[in-house]
Amino acid sequence: MAVRILLAEDDRHIVETLTFVLERDGFGVSAAFDGEDAVRQLRSSPPDLLILDVMLPRLNGFEVLKLVRSDPLLKSMPVIVLTAKGQAQDRRMAEEIGVDEFMTKPFSNRDIVAAVRRVTGPR
Amino acid sequence: MARSLIGPRIRSRRRALGLTQASVAGRAGISASYLNLIEGNKRNIGGALLQRIAGELGLAVDEIDGAAERRLLGDLGELTGEPLFADLHLSRASADDLASRHAPWARALITLHRSWVDRNRAVNALSDRLVHDPFLADAVHDMLTKVSAIRSSSEILESVDDLEPAQRARFAAIVGAESRRLSDVAQALAAFFDSAHSSTRSITPVGEIDDFIFERGNYFPALEQLAQEVRAAAAMPDDGRESALLAYLERGHGVRVEAHPAAEAASLGGSATADYDPASRTLRVADTAPPAARRFAFARLAAGLADRHGAIAAEIAGATMLTSPAARRRAEHVLSSYAAAAVLMPYEAFRASAHAARYDVEALALRYGASIEQACHRLTTLRRPGAEGIPFGLMRVDAAGFVTKRFALPHLLLPRHGNACPLWALYGAFQAPGTVVRQLAEFPSGDRFLFVARTVEKIRPAFAMPRRLLSVMLACDALYADQTVYGDGMDSSSAGPAVPVGPNCRLCARRECVYREEDPIIDA
Repeated sequence: MAVRILLAEDDRHIVETLTFVLERDGFGVSAAFDGEDAVRQLRSSPPDLLILDVMLPRLNGFEVLKLVRSDPLLKSMPVIVLTAKGQAQDRRMAEEIGVDEFMTKPFSNRDIVAAVRRVTGPR
Repeated sequence: MARSLIGPRIRSRRRALGLTQASVAGRAGISASYLNLIEGNKRNIGGALLQRIAGELGLAVDEIDGAAERRLLGDLGELTGEPLFADLHLSRASADDLASRHAPWARALITLHRSWVDRNRAVNALSDRLVHDPFLADAVHDMLTKVSAIRSSSEILESVDDLEPAQRARFAAIVGAESRRLSDVAQALAAFFDSAHSSTRSITPVGEIDDFIFERGNYFPALEQLAQEVRAAAAMPDDGRESALLAYLERGHGVRVEAHPAAEAASLGGSATADYDPASRTLRVADTAPPAARRFAFARLAAGLADRHGAIAAEIAGATMLTSPAARRRAEHVLSSYAAAAVLMPYEAFRASAHAARYDVEALALRYGASIEQACHRLTTLRRPGAEGIPFGLMRVDAAGFVTKRFALPHLLLPRHGNACPLWALYGAFQAPGTVVRQLAEFPSGDRFLFVARTVEKIRPAFAMPRRLLSVMLACDALYADQTVYGDGMDSSSAGPAVPVGPNCRLCARRECVYREEDPIIDA
């Protein structure tokens, strides 16, 4: 069964291209366009991996990450933080809360796929 | 230079010119024996007589009484207070030497230092802005997001060989759409930097205007003349009633005055209470403007419209120290304020009133329908040779201690950058808003000054806006204290009690002061 990824990202074009690339690589992808929607989907149907943008509307990425790490059912889920904010303090904050990979925009499709493979392990 | 050097300086200049005491005295309208007493420092002189003697000897007053050199020393003092030079152990003695022997080099150093401080501030302001500006943060985030979508799509178009035609068209469309949006963001960024550039205010012009005002003694005969002409044309009574000015503006210049709703007043920008549109000849005045501010706006416009011969422009054109367009623009505003004050508070009448009221600022403000600050300001301009008032300096700060206005006094060092001594009445006034706070202040040099400070409140057009309190302080040599109401009951002699103050911590020699916040840098 395919590894299921929840992609929490408010830019629809990025969702569209990443979904295409990841599905082509054999992953199952669903999308959430704001933080609240992401939390709802995480709780109703926990994926195998969360790709999380930081600047999300409603709940930002760090708030979503905190909820994930404090939820007994979700806390061990691998998370890749994807952000246009590449400053050192954002990276530190993400690492403090607990993150598996931290990637800054603009990214390459190849790097995203490599990170997803690293985090989900050999299939 | 100490004041005791005035006599010897007159003597040495007179001898250098090969003139006798009798000839100089005769031309200056005094007896030879009186000039002898002056040269021997047996008599203190100032005002009109000093002016006449200086004129006979072909010197400017500030050359003869050492004011120019003292000011240069004061400026050098600030330079030596610069933390950057802490290890160089710059001393006052060497500053004296530099100022007296190599004045142009001293000025060059001061100019460089000011420019350096200015650039530092600009860099800090820009750096803060880059880090904290919400527009920039959003724009950068937007750009990176759009670039990500473009890069991701183009990589798919490049690297995936078996794309369906519909998929290929779709990703090409994403590249197109995101490129257009990226252009919009880039244009908005360019516009942002354009406007940021035009509104970047240099700090140096303030220093240039300081020097300009100081050099001119804060007295401008051509503007006093202009003000007289406006008063005559408007047939203004002494109390400067608004109706006469209004009628003059309407009939003499076809100006229409409109009340500007309070809600929109803030959009006039900063603390502006009025703006004038020359095309429609309309003066829009905020309907929240206090009467004194309204009158001042009318007087400023009246003086500006009556200035057919370009008195203000001529003053600026003749001022070589105003080097930048920003400084000249600012000087124009300062001079038009001067003219407005001269219209509302005519020189002779105001000087007589000041003398009669013993410089009671609140009484003068009431008498002329002016604000406290306007009256204080006008007092500093009573410098007509032969008809002077008390020489006052003035300083204005906001609650954060930022110096927003300053007229220097030859003997009183007003720090050009940063704060003054926290003990000054200027700051004490914030503890009792609206109350006049007086203080006899003694500096480490032994110089004593009467400080008179009071807070003033700038209008706020809406309840929701924070109060804007400023503190305005007049300062004069303690010798004049008994000529003012503020000296009543105060022993201003050198034996009387005074508050020990300094210029500011870095420049202050009172090492033991319990209010000290920073170490002194200058050797005492």
